[in-house]
Amino acid sequence: MKFLCVPCDAPMKLQSVGPPERGSLSIVYSCPECGYEMAMLTNAYETQAVQSLGVRIGPETAGGAPSTASTDAAGGKCPFSAMIPTLEGAQPAQTSEPAPVRWTAAAEARLANIPAFVRPMARTGIERFARERGLLEVDEKILEAAREFFGM
Amino acid sequence: MKGYHDIVGDGGSGILEQVAEQRARITDGLAGVRHLVAVGSGKGGVGKSTLTLHLAGALRARGLRIAILDADFNGPSQARMAGVQGALFVPGSHKVSLPRTGNGIAVFSMGSVIPESEALDFESAAQGESHTWRATREFALLGEILASFEWGALDLLMFDLPPGAERTVQYADFLGPRTSFLLVTIPSEVARGVVARSVAALSKGPNRLLGYVENMSGYYCRDCNAIKPLFESPEIPRLGIPCLGTVPFDPELARHCDGGIPFTELGETPVGRALAHVAQQLLDTLESEPSR
Repeated sequence: MKFLCVPCDAPMKLQSVGPPERGSLSIVYSCPECGYEMAMLTNAYETQAVQSLGVRIGPETAGGAPSTASTDAAGGKCPFSAMIPTLEGAQPAQTSEPAPVRWTAAAEARLANIPAFVRPMARTGIERFARERGLLEVDEKILEAAREFFGM
Repeated sequence: MKGYHDIVGDGGSGILEQVAEQRARITDGLAGVRHLVAVGSGKGGVGKSTLTLHLAGALRARGLRIAILDADFNGPSQARMAGVQGALFVPGSHKVSLPRTGNGIAVFSMGSVIPESEALDFESAAQGESHTWRATREFALLGEILASFEWGALDLLMFDLPPGAERTVQYADFLGPRTSFLLVTIPSEVARGVVARSVAALSKGPNRLLGYVENMSGYYCRDCNAIKPLFESPEIPRLGIPCLGTVPFDPELARHCDGGIPFTELGETPVGRALAHVAQQLLDTLESEPSR
């Protein structure tokens, strides 16, 4: 979808995306010629159509990527968050709390590269793998050891 | 006044560019895969998943590098059958390593992510209206899986498709012309009729139809050591594509699937030999020039 400022015959630029409200996004465009601003207010179907494509809505950042993630903004987080008890942010149903495991920045960065829907499982599994070896820190060596151990 | 095509970009989000980038990541991720084979039917309950896993096992036994992507997100069965339920997902430097079976077949199945007591669900801005967006969301998820996991260098990546003739065609569209199709039927007129619809629909597109496998082609009686008829269907309509083989029903095969027991343990049974034959036919067909 594109917007054209008719008096200026100039394509309008996306300025900001408002937080979702009951399934609606407020997306503000402005004309770079006359400065006229307008907002596109999506209905839930339109919001969901974009969310289902797995794309983000937002003004481009310096790097060219949209700065606002519509799937996140629309409550997307993780598609399975409502159903997997061990997801990030959810309370795991454990009776005894195991010792916390730290993640080094490099290991955490690797974890961040993987899809949100497997991230919580990966975190839990790797921490268990580390604990079973008497370790309370996950670094890249542990990740490599896990790959080797499971024949990956 | 300017028209849509006079304007470059969409003024900010770059939706089309993002979709193109997703596609490029998928293409890049599958660059090391020699053959993409989708195992479909159109009909449910004909044994697509069972055949996928055991053909993969037969091919793996020949030393080929094989992976399975269980594309039936709503009814995943490969995790249990391949014995990778509760498998560990390990992040690599850029992508996620795939769980492997004991005989080295890489498997992605939603059954490794979601317990069998739960159904796949998505958060949505339009709850109660999933018929308007659900298929799109599932294909976006498929794209994310293809782009995010380490498929690496493979001889075959096999897609275990969900039922539905229209779904089969949607997967053909999404996976693109590189993907060839192997269809599964059983010797019943009803099943053949549905598979014939899939053949007709796929024939309109660019994807190669490798042929079909007739599953449950009689049953193997271990007591008699003989194949006996399972269906009475004398006049079964022809499908117009090559038959790559027939596989009899064997309760032992079902036990293997439920227990995650690999193909190699089927041994020199009629079912094991039938699967090995189909695997060879599949390989020969893949290596041959397409006839159309």
